[in-house]
Amino acid sequence: MAESTSTTEPATLTVRVLLFSVLREKVGARELEVTLDSSATGNDLLDHLAEAHPAVAEHRGALRLAINQTYAPHETELSDGDEVALITPVSGG
Amino acid sequence: MARFEERTAQRWIRVTEEQLDTGLADQFLRTERAGGITLFVGTTRRFTDGRETVRLTYDAYVPMAGAELQRLADTAADRWPVEKLVLHHRTGEVPVAEASVIVGVACAHRDAAFASARWLIDTLKARVPIWKRETFADGATAWVEGQLPPPDRPGD
Repeated sequence: MAESTSTTEPATLTVRVLLFSVLREKVGARELEVTLDSSATGNDLLDHLAEAHPAVAEHRGALRLAINQTYAPHETELSDGDEVALITPVSGG
Repeated sequence: MARFEERTAQRWIRVTEEQLDTGLADQFLRTERAGGITLFVGTTRRFTDGRETVRLTYDAYVPMAGAELQRLADTAADRWPVEKLVLHHRTGEVPVAEASVIVGVACAHRDAAFASARWLIDTLKARVPIWKRETFADGATAWVEGQLPPPDRPGD
Protein backbone atom coordinates (compact mmCIF):
# COMPACT_ATOMS: atom_id res chain seq x y z
CA MET A 1 0.00 0.00 0.00
CA ALA A 2 1.23 3.45 -0.84
CA GLU A 3 -0.77 4.96 1.98
CA SER A 4 1.17 7.37 4.15
CA THR A 5 1.72 6.30 7.73
CA SER A 6 2.31 9.84 8.90
CA THR A 7 -1.28 10.53 9.84
CA THR A 8 -0.85 13.88 11.50
CA GLU A 9 -2.66 14.12 14.82
CA PRO A 10 -5.13 16.97 14.89
CA ALA A 11 -3.35 19.72 16.80
CA THR A 12 -5.77 20.23 19.65
CA LEU A 13 -5.80 20.44 23.43
CA THR A 14 -8.53 19.62 25.91
CA VAL A 15 -9.09 21.48 29.18
CA ARG A 16 -11.41 20.93 32.10
CA VAL A 17 -13.40 24.07 32.92
CA LEU A 18 -14.71 24.52 36.47
CA LEU A 19 -17.69 26.73 37.29
CA PHE A 20 -18.76 28.13 40.66
CA SER A 21 -21.43 30.24 42.28
CA VAL A 22 -23.50 32.34 39.87
CA LEU A 23 -21.95 30.84 36.71
CA ARG A 24 -22.54 27.30 37.91
CA GLU A 25 -26.20 28.14 38.47
CA LYS A 26 -26.71 29.95 35.18
CA VAL A 27 -24.82 27.48 32.99
CA GLY A 28 -26.28 24.54 34.89
CA ALA A 29 -22.99 22.61 35.13
CA ARG A 30 -20.08 22.29 37.54
CA GLU A 31 -17.64 21.24 34.93
CA LEU A 32 -17.22 21.40 31.15
CA GLU A 33 -14.70 19.78 28.85
CA VAL A 34 -13.52 21.96 26.00
CA THR A 35 -11.28 21.03 23.08
CA LEU A 36 -9.47 23.87 21.35
CA ASP A 37 -6.69 24.48 18.86
CA SER A 38 -3.35 23.59 20.45
CA SER A 39 -2.21 27.24 20.35
CA ALA A 40 -5.28 28.38 22.32
CA THR A 41 -5.06 30.97 25.10
CA GLY A 42 -7.42 31.78 27.96
CA ASN A 43 -9.05 34.38 25.70
CA ASP A 44 -9.75 31.75 23.05
CA LEU A 45 -11.34 29.53 25.68
CA LEU A 46 -13.53 32.44 26.82
CA ASP A 47 -14.53 33.19 23.19
CA HIS A 48 -15.57 29.56 22.80
CA LEU A 49 -17.48 29.44 26.09
CA ALA A 50 -19.17 32.81 25.53
CA GLU A 51 -20.55 31.55 22.23
CA ALA A 52 -21.94 28.37 23.78
CA HIS A 53 -23.16 29.87 27.07
CA PRO A 54 -24.78 33.33 27.23
CA ALA A 55 -24.03 33.47 30.97
CA VAL A 56 -20.29 33.40 30.26
CA ALA A 57 -20.71 36.24 27.76
CA GLU A 58 -22.72 38.17 30.35
CA HIS A 59 -20.05 37.82 33.06
CA ARG A 60 -16.98 38.03 30.85
CA GLY A 61 -16.32 41.67 31.70
CA ALA A 62 -15.62 40.75 35.34
CA LEU A 63 -13.97 37.38 35.24
CA ARG A 64 -10.58 36.10 36.37
CA LEU A 65 -9.07 32.82 35.17
CA ALA A 66 -7.32 30.38 37.45
CA ILE A 67 -5.19 27.85 35.61
CA ASN A 68 -4.25 24.81 37.69
CA GLN A 69 -5.30 26.66 40.84
CA THR A 70 -3.33 29.87 40.27
CA TYR A 71 -4.68 33.16 38.91
CA ALA A 72 -3.39 33.70 35.38
CA PRO A 73 -3.81 36.42 32.72
CA HIS A 74 -6.34 35.78 29.92
CA GLU A 75 -3.42 35.77 27.43
CA THR A 76 -1.87 32.66 29.01
CA GLU A 77 -1.37 29.78 26.56
CA LEU A 78 -3.26 26.70 27.62
CA SER A 79 -1.87 23.17 27.80
CA ASP A 80 -3.63 19.87 27.29
CA GLY A 81 -5.12 18.68 30.57
CA ASP A 82 -5.21 22.11 32.25
CA GLU A 83 -7.83 22.75 34.92
CA VAL A 84 -9.25 26.20 34.21
CA ALA A 85 -11.64 27.81 36.69
CA LEU A 86 -13.78 30.80 35.80
CA ILE A 87 -13.64 33.07 38.85
CA THR A 88 -16.39 35.68 39.13
CA PRO A 89 -15.85 38.39 41.80
CA VAL A 90 -15.24 36.61 45.10
CA SER A 91 -17.17 37.26 48.33
CA GLY A 92 -15.67 35.09 51.02
CA GLY A 93 -15.17 36.12 54.61
CA MET B 1 -18.05 19.25 49.50
CA ALA B 2 -14.32 18.72 49.62
CA ARG B 3 -12.26 20.00 52.49
CA PHE B 4 -8.74 21.37 52.90
CA GLU B 5 -6.54 21.19 55.97
CA GLU B 6 -2.90 21.99 56.69
CA ARG B 7 -1.66 21.97 60.26
CA THR B 8 1.92 22.49 61.33
CA ALA B 9 3.42 23.83 64.56
CA GLN B 10 3.24 27.39 63.16
CA ARG B 11 0.02 27.50 61.20
CA TRP B 12 -3.39 25.92 60.88
CA ILE B 13 -5.32 26.45 57.65
CA ARG B 14 -8.72 24.90 56.92
CA VAL B 15 -11.62 25.10 54.53
CA THR B 16 -14.40 22.98 55.97
CA GLU B 17 -18.15 22.48 56.19
CA GLU B 18 -17.83 21.96 59.95
CA GLN B 19 -18.71 24.63 62.50
CA LEU B 20 -15.68 26.78 63.30
CA ASP B 21 -14.33 26.68 66.83
CA THR B 22 -12.79 29.92 68.09
CA GLY B 23 -11.70 28.18 71.31
CA LEU B 24 -9.56 25.69 69.40
CA ALA B 25 -8.13 28.50 67.27
CA ASP B 26 -7.21 30.46 70.42
CA GLN B 27 -5.59 27.37 71.98
CA PHE B 28 -3.54 26.77 68.84
CA LEU B 29 -2.29 30.37 68.83
CA ARG B 30 -0.97 30.29 72.41
CA THR B 31 2.81 30.38 72.64
CA GLU B 32 5.27 31.80 75.13
CA ARG B 33 6.86 33.83 72.32
CA ALA B 34 3.68 35.85 71.74
CA GLY B 35 2.73 38.98 73.65
CA GLY B 36 -0.41 39.60 71.64
CA ILE B 37 -3.00 37.56 69.78
CA THR B 38 -5.50 39.05 67.36
CA LEU B 39 -8.49 36.82 66.68
CA PHE B 40 -10.93 38.07 64.06
CA VAL B 41 -14.20 36.17 63.71
CA GLY B 42 -16.48 36.92 60.77
CA THR B 43 -20.12 36.02 61.47
CA THR B 44 -23.42 35.98 59.62
CA ARG B 45 -25.23 39.28 60.26
CA ARG B 46 -29.02 39.31 60.43
CA PHE B 47 -29.73 42.76 58.91
CA THR B 48 -28.08 44.37 55.90
CA ASP B 49 -29.57 47.68 54.75
CA GLY B 50 -32.80 46.84 56.55
CA ARG B 51 -33.21 43.44 54.86
CA GLU B 52 -33.31 40.34 57.04
CA THR B 53 -30.90 37.48 56.31
CA VAL B 54 -31.54 34.01 57.75
CA ARG B 55 -28.38 32.33 56.53
CA LEU B 56 -25.41 32.56 54.18
CA THR B 57 -24.38 29.69 51.95
CA TYR B 58 -20.75 29.55 50.85
CA ASP B 59 -19.48 27.95 47.65
CA ALA B 60 -15.73 27.45 47.31
CA TYR B 61 -13.13 26.20 44.86
CA VAL B 62 -11.77 24.27 47.81
CA PRO B 63 -8.28 23.13 46.71
CA MET B 64 -7.44 26.55 45.29
CA ALA B 65 -8.97 28.35 48.29
CA GLY B 66 -6.61 26.29 50.47
CA ALA B 67 -3.65 27.12 48.22
CA GLU B 68 -4.54 30.84 48.27
CA LEU B 69 -4.83 30.81 52.07
CA GLN B 70 -1.36 29.22 52.18
CA ARG B 71 -0.03 31.99 49.91
CA LEU B 72 -1.61 34.60 52.23
CA ALA B 73 0.00 32.94 55.24
CA ASP B 74 3.38 32.90 53.46
CA THR B 75 3.13 36.59 52.58
CA ALA B 76 2.02 37.59 56.09
CA ALA B 77 4.98 35.68 57.56
CA ASP B 78 7.33 37.54 55.19
CA ARG B 79 5.93 40.93 56.18
CA TRP B 80 5.39 40.61 59.91
CA PRO B 81 7.10 38.65 62.69
CA VAL B 82 4.27 36.12 62.94
CA GLU B 83 4.72 33.42 65.58
CA LYS B 84 1.53 31.50 64.86
CA LEU B 85 -1.32 31.88 62.43
CA VAL B 86 -4.82 30.49 61.92
CA LEU B 87 -6.95 30.84 58.77
CA HIS B 88 -10.24 28.93 58.85
CA HIS B 89 -13.11 29.31 56.41
CA ARG B 90 -16.41 27.51 56.57
CA THR B 91 -18.37 26.39 53.48
CA GLY B 92 -21.99 25.41 52.99
CA GLU B 93 -24.71 26.90 55.17
CA VAL B 94 -23.79 29.34 57.94
CA PRO B 95 -26.80 30.43 60.03
CA VAL B 96 -27.11 33.89 61.58
CA ALA B 97 -24.55 34.61 64.33
CA GLU B 98 -22.35 31.63 63.43
CA ALA B 99 -18.76 32.08 62.26
CA SER B 100 -17.85 31.84 58.58
CA VAL B 101 -14.21 32.83 58.96
CA ILE B 102 -11.51 32.97 61.63
CA VAL B 103 -8.27 34.88 61.17
CA GLY B 104 -5.88 34.57 64.09
CA VAL B 105 -2.33 35.84 64.49
CA ALA B 106 0.06 35.57 67.42
CA CYS B 107 3.00 37.99 67.49
CA ALA B 108 5.51 39.21 70.05
CA HIS B 109 3.85 42.66 70.02
CA ARG B 110 0.30 43.86 69.34
CA ASP B 111 1.07 46.24 66.46
CA ALA B 112 2.15 43.37 64.22
CA ALA B 113 -0.72 41.16 65.43
CA PHE B 114 -3.33 43.81 64.54
CA ALA B 115 -1.71 44.85 61.25
CA SER B 116 -1.20 41.32 59.93
CA ALA B 117 -4.70 40.17 60.91
CA ARG B 118 -6.22 43.22 59.22
CA TRP B 119 -4.21 42.58 56.06
CA LEU B 120 -5.12 38.88 56.10
CA ILE B 121 -8.90 39.35 56.34
CA ASP B 122 -8.92 42.17 53.75
CA THR B 123 -6.79 40.19 51.30
CA LEU B 124 -8.73 36.96 51.93
CA LYS B 125 -11.95 38.74 50.97
CA ALA B 126 -10.35 40.13 47.81
CA ARG B 127 -8.72 37.02 46.36
CA VAL B 128 -9.66 33.67 47.88
CA PRO B 129 -12.09 31.83 45.54
CA ILE B 130 -15.09 31.61 47.86
CA TRP B 131 -18.57 33.02 47.19
CA LYS B 132 -21.51 33.67 49.48
CA ARG B 133 -25.21 33.61 48.73
CA GLU B 134 -27.70 35.29 51.04
CA THR B 135 -31.03 33.72 51.88
CA PHE B 136 -33.45 36.38 53.07
CA ALA B 137 -36.35 36.02 55.49
CA ASP B 138 -38.81 36.24 52.57
CA GLY B 139 -37.16 33.22 50.91
CA ALA B 140 -35.37 35.17 48.16
CA THR B 141 -31.70 34.39 47.53
CA ALA B 142 -28.87 36.44 46.01
CA TRP B 143 -25.15 35.96 45.42
CA VAL B 144 -23.28 38.73 47.21
CA GLU B 145 -21.56 41.22 44.93
CA GLY B 146 -17.85 40.57 45.40
CA GLN B 147 -14.40 41.76 44.40
CA LEU B 148 -12.56 40.74 41.25
CA PRO B 149 -9.28 39.19 42.43
CA PRO B 150 -6.12 40.94 41.26
CA PRO B 151 -4.21 38.84 38.69
CA ASP B 152 -0.92 38.87 40.59
CA ARG B 153 0.28 37.13 43.71
CA PRO B 154 -0.79 38.43 47.14
CA GLY B 155 1.39 41.30 48.25
CA ASP B 156 2.73 42.07 44.75
